Amino acid sequence: MSELPPKSSIKRWFLTTNHKDIGVLYLITALFFLIFGGLLALLFRIELLSPAADFLGETGYNQAVSAHGLLMVFWFISPFAFGFANYVVPLQIGADDLAFPRLNALSYWFYLFSGLLFGVSFFQGQTFSGGWTMYAPLNTPTYLPGEALGATTVVLALIMFVTAVTLGSVNFLTTMYRMRAEGLRMRDLPLFSISINLTVWMMLFAFAALLAALMILTSDHILGTHYFSYQIDGAGITQGANNPGASLLWAHLFWFFGHPEVYIVFFPALGIMAECFQTFTGRRIVGRKWFIIAMVLVALQSFIVWMHHMFLTGINLQIKTIFMATTIGISLPFDLMVFSLIYTMIKGRIRFTTPFLFSLGALIVFILGGITGVFLGAVVLDYQFRGTYWVVAHFHYVMVGGATALFGGLYYWYPKITGKMYDEFLGKVHFGVFMLGFNLLYFPMFLAWETPRRVFDYGGLSTTIDLSALELGVYVIPYEVWHNMSTIGAAILGASFLIMFYNLFVSYWHGEEVGDNPWAYATSAEWAVSSPPPLENFHDTPSYASGRLEFLDDEEVAARSSGSSGGGLAGHGATATDGGTSTDGGTSTDGGKPGSATAASSGVQSGGGALARAGPETALGTGTPGEHGHDGHADHASLWPFIVGIAGFVLFLGLSGIRTGGTFYTSLTVVGAVGVFGSFVGMAQEPFHAPEPLLAERWPYGGVEKMKLGMWTFLASDIVLFGAFIGSYVFVRVAYGWEEWHHLIPEAHVTMPGLINTYLLLTSSFAVVLAMVAAEKESRKGVLLSLGATFALGVGFLINKAMEWDHLFNLHGSEAFPHGWDLTTNLASSTFYLTTGLHGAHVAIGLIMVAYMFLRAWNGAYMGDEKPIEYFGLYWHLVDIVWLFLFPLFYIL
Amino acid sequence: MSHTKLYAAIYVVLFAFATIQAVVEYAGFLEQSYWLAFWAIIVLSVIKAVIVAAYYQHLRWEPRAVSYLVVGGVVAAVALTAAASFSIT
Ligand code: HEM
Ligand SMILES: [Cu+2]
Repeated sequence: MSELPPKSSIKRWFLTTNHKDIGVLYLITALFFLIFGGLLALLFRIELLSPAADFLGETGYNQAVSAHGLLMVFWFISPFAFGFANYVVPLQIGADDLAFPRLNALSYWFYLFSGLLFGVSFFQGQTFSGGWTMYAPLNTPTYLPGEALGATTVVLALIMFVTAVTLGSVNFLTTMYRMRAEGLRMRDLPLFSISINLTVWMMLFAFAALLAALMILTSDHILGTHYFSYQIDGAGITQGANNPGASLLWAHLFWFFGHPEVYIVFFPALGIMAECFQTFTGRRIVGRKWFIIAMVLVALQSFIVWMHHMFLTGINLQIKTIFMATTIGISLPFDLMVFSLIYTMIKGRIRFTTPFLFSLGALIVFILGGITGVFLGAVVLDYQFRGTYWVVAHFHYVMVGGATALFGGLYYWYPKITGKMYDEFLGKVHFGVFMLGFNLLYFPMFLAWETPRRVFDYGGLSTTIDLSALELGVYVIPYEVWHNMSTIGAAILGASFLIMFYNLFVSYWHGEEVGDNPWAYATSAEWAVSSPPPLENFHDTPSYASGRLEFLDDEEVAARSSGSSGGGLAGHGATATDGGTSTDGGTSTDGGKPGSATAASSGVQSGGGALARAGPETALGTGTPGEHGHDGHADHASLWPFIVGIAGFVLFLGLSGIRTGGTFYTSLTVVGAVGVFGSFVGMAQEPFHAPEPLLAERWPYGGVEKMKLGMWTFLASDIVLFGAFIGSYVFVRVAYGWEEWHHLIPEAHVTMPGLINTYLLLTSSFAVVLAMVAAEKESRKGVLLSLGATFALGVGFLINKAMEWDHLFNLHGSEAFPHGWDLTTNLASSTFYLTTGLHGAHVAIGLIMVAYMFLRAWNGAYMGDEKPIEYFGLYWHLVDIVWLFLFPLFYIL
Repeated sequence: MSHTKLYAAIYVVLFAFATIQAVVEYAGFLEQSYWLAFWAIIVLSVIKAVIVAAYYQHLRWEPRAVSYLVVGGVVAAVALTAAASFSIT
């Protein structure tokens, strides 16, 4: 724990865990990636001036297109939105920071370093060149030019990025359900915060599926498994012989993530549009309730439309029809939102400021993008449009439409973040040039829609517009004309940002100072504090209990949080801060959970009642015991997240080249791994205090302490990760033929080792439960014994597995598998080793945690404080549950 | 019944179910009627999983919202698996 230096000091930016600082870091970093991705786009737009690869070269073009897509979708647009989310959401909900500030910093550093890793990939021969959708088998080394190390790096960079996203989702969800100001119901949150809440929910589940896809792909790259590749038989691919499901598997995994992703990109933009429309029309959004319901519906529906990206694959007609219907279904709530925004304009009095203009522009281009999307959602039409510039135009209208609103958000919150006003005139000029460039860039793509996308050699004549009536002797227009217009548009669009950067830069130094609220009619809580807000956001405690924002002093807070507790311990009250529904967590009071007397009293701050300042931030309840104090002093600085980030970078860089066996990459891997391990231990050891508010609205997670809620949200994403792994196995097996599959498995692969491991794991789960009970009873010996048993059983599990694998690897004398049965042998072996391997890795990580807890218990920790053991147990039992499915699937059936 | 006893009883049940699953295989039921045995085994796994979640992870005593969170993850995974597998039938 160290003190936070002032903003002028470089050191601060490496140390900070404050949400506003991190928000700023996100914004700046994302803008950097906008420039990076934008320059790549300009390069290939130049390439496309003529239909040949005469500028970047063929692979150069492929790399530029792929990297552009990946950088924009992953490293620019969402992180940019999360810059605002970081900065604004805690303010809007009345919290002083996110629930886990160090984790938030860690997310940022993983994000930054993952982007740098992507940058490095350009220098490893070539970067990834298989398109942003990374379709199989073009994403596997066999089909990538050269050694494909750069491509592996990109996959690993994505994994690192997804890790950042997952940590971020857990953090935001925990924050929004545990730290809302008193009286602030979920539905009362400002629309931007609501949109972010739904975004993180989608992220939590969608990105877990992507993580599974990426991990499997990494394994195909590094370990040589065969999920995404076909067996190449001389010149051709053996028909259906060894992995008929390969490319469809990727498409399913990717689009199961990918469609929610497009809303993940768009929702924050929608939230900003809603805020700006309200502020600058001076009117509450029309049909607010329905607007919110529509958003919730879209968030749910986004998970059941993914196959509209697969209409031209071999999936059956029934499922195509179903997904056409769901796709049409998802456009309906969108219509409602669009109309609600339009009516808000009609009913209000518009002030055409820059943020409003950008929001309006976003709405207009989104309408065009949305309508063209509905075309694509119709199976028959998509047979024509798939793989053409129609799709490219569609998704740029919606995605860059979303980005348009985000730039509006940048102008909107710029005065809050900097305390200075930007230049309104230049802002409007930026808007004008931006819209001109945007439409000149993307609209001609609709007109040249027949050109195949991702193809530089696009020559031909466009039939979209028929000129014969003009009798000029020319009847049709060459595609080149439209593409050249696009290229000019791209240059204009790019240039418009020079105006923005100039404006924001100069205003930062010379802009007019602003007070708390430069915008009349802006009502959300970030405008109720100074610009920029103080480090801990609010001097007094915000509350909405009276129906509007008030600030309570400490005495009032103390009175409310203990007075209403019904005579319980201070901070353990069953209060009615969430409108009298004090029942949601309250059920556990009577029985308590078995064997958990204290948990019953600490676990039931019923109905969002007050909770005493909770302990330290880390999972294992590490840090000094003294931190449990109620002094309320919060920490804001830690260098560990940065160090973990660097170490992760080194580790992944090493892994990208590990298959070469060279010393350079091998040593990077070793150094990185040691670094990651060491810095995590360092982070766990560091005392870091992030207090929970005394008074907060916590529906519907009233009784769930923040560490526990964080753990559960994380586990939910882990469920999807494992689910996607198991799903992949089921899918390739169905594609292959469920029962024929048995031919791929040697006789020697028997049930017994799996059964033994089931017993070991079940017993270890039981041991963890006993450890928890012992901790409650303050029996140090009991805790040590049970944790020791857990550890021993887990180790036994791994040893048993190692023996089994070793046996299967070296099956000499087996007729069917003369070279043994290892990862690369066939599809069954690939799925077996990888899926159970992922599980084994979970066991190993669990064991590290157990060892750590054992040491702490040795020193007397956990007596009467079983919570850390309980939270670890949640993880360990999940690992157990997963095995309960892996065992039958991989050993019996 | 004390809590420790409850936990112990659950442990015994889990142990027994795992054994039954293996017995189904050893007794050759899979050869006799594969799909019947298949679903029997899967159902046993599901029951075990629910028991572990409900008692060892004490979801039973948490606010329902926590269970919904978990169910959400499970539904997502099952939907992906089922729809994807169906799409190639
Ligand atoms: C009104 C709702 C929408 C509908 C009905 C819709 C429909 C579709 C369909 C059917 C496709 C597949 C086209 C094909 O590849 O043949 C598609 C592609 C795409 N859409 Fe949308 N879309 C909608 C909104 C959005 C939004 C809001 C975004 C993002 C902000 C978005 C981003 C994309 C992207 C990125 C692709 C292309 C993926 C690729 O590279 O192949 N869409 N859309
Ligand atoms: Cu889609």
